[in-house]
Amino acid sequence: MAAFKITRRLIRDVELKSAVLFRCARRTLCSESANNSPTDGRSPRFSDKEVQNILTKITGLDLQKAFRPVKQELKPPTYRLMTDAQLAQATQKAMQVAKERLKMPPVLPERKPIDDVLAEDKFLEGLETVKYVFTDITYNIPHRERFIVIREPDGTLRKATWEERDRMVQLYFPREGRRLTPPPVFKEENLKVVFLQDRHEDILDLCLVQFEPDSPDYRRVHNLTYEDIDKHGKYDLLRSTRHFGGMVWYLVNGKKIDGLLIDMIQRDLIQDAASVIHLYHMLHPRGSSAKEAGEQQAQGIDLVKIFARTESQKAGYVELALQAYQETSTECSAQSSSP
Amino acid sequence: MHLLHFPLVVIRVAFPSILSASLLLKHYHGGHVVIRLALGGCTNRPFYRIVAAYNKRARDSKHIEQLGSFDPLPNLYNEKLVSLNFQRIKYWIACGAHPTKPVAKLLEACRVLPLHPMTVTKAERFRKTAAQKEALGAPEEGSEEASESKPETA
Repeated sequence: MAAFKITRRLIRDVELKSAVLFRCARRTLCSESANNSPTDGRSPRFSDKEVQNILTKITGLDLQKAFRPVKQELKPPTYRLMTDAQLAQATQKAMQVAKERLKMPPVLPERKPIDDVLAEDKFLEGLETVKYVFTDITYNIPHRERFIVIREPDGTLRKATWEERDRMVQLYFPREGRRLTPPPVFKEENLKVVFLQDRHEDILDLCLVQFEPDSPDYRRVHNLTYEDIDKHGKYDLLRSTRHFGGMVWYLVNGKKIDGLLIDMIQRDLIQDAASVIHLYHMLHPRGSSAKEAGEQQAQGIDLVKIFARTESQKAGYVELALQAYQETSTECSAQSSSP
Repeated sequence: MHLLHFPLVVIRVAFPSILSASLLLKHYHGGHVVIRLALGGCTNRPFYRIVAAYNKRARDSKHIEQLGSFDPLPNLYNEKLVSLNFQRIKYWIACGAHPTKPVAKLLEACRVLPLHPMTVTKAERFRKTAAQKEALGAPEEGSEEASESKPETA
């Protein structure tokens, strides 16, 4: 019951902060190096150009969803009189802004814990009963390179752990929307309540603001969200948002793309389904479906068929969906050709 | 003749919004820059700012630059938080600023300044007194237990 009340209060907070989140949800972290090419002999990474192209194509660009009304301060709307050409220009501009907003947050490997001891001065033991945390507040250093050092009461001088670092950086260089202690929404029981309400996008936005992309909490929340979406087939909730690419990447890495494919086929997005399978082959090039597809040089719906035959776990469902799609497409072509 | 003994105080034109050494109001005779703790906060809740200021100024009044902060009360995680702008502290020490004792202690705790010889001595003395107290406490406890057990048995 208490968890319910807390989550209800916090979900209200999320609604109020969603305007803040839109503004500050753009990550300015330095992404991985730009000179990636999947032909290096290692598996393709999230930040590769090809992978990013595929994922942006699949995410789609639904302007209505990207610019849906967000809770903001009440302002009277502005009306403008435009010609057709000006309207086209304004739509173009809106599409560019939407693309900016749909920029995918980076998927980074989990950060390794820091346990670096700088000095063990046993002779200083006993002077203090508390830890001293020294933070360097020089303005022009990136937060990752900042010196944050702790002197323990037993005299050891060590580097601060990641959690302590995050806390100190947030104290001295506060970031809008981020709290010192993560809100209780991110606990497992409370996340379940959020998922029941279909608010996956909001929780992912909140997670993006609160945690760093390589922190274990960020990954845990994202993985739980993606698992829940996969379990209930709610892929459309994230379509045309910035989190869709990340979700597809996670599912492809975990080889759980069957549900996604079925959903796409049912919505007549065959090209997207083919791109997903292309991505799957890029990441798992030694699987049976990749080899067959390579032999036959398949494109489009044939790729999906090959995948359904070889490596799919829900082969039956995928083939059923494909059949239904083909029947409807033949019906449509028959209707359009008959009169 | 009396006028000659008067200390020279040259008051320049005030630029209250710009705080830099060259545009300060007063010109001190024999003063120097110090890095010290300026007290702020409320009743029963001290909070110090680490500050570069002229020696002759009042403790909490106008400083040249704030170089950090120090919270003397430990927080939830049993930590005392100290923030230091190392770049600027290095600059002021290079200009000849003198850090006061508490600031010097903080700086030597994070290894910016070398250790004062008395730090090690003080730590040793503290441990010695603590050990002595324990030793005194143990025979007292022994006698207390003996006296407790006697009335129980009796």
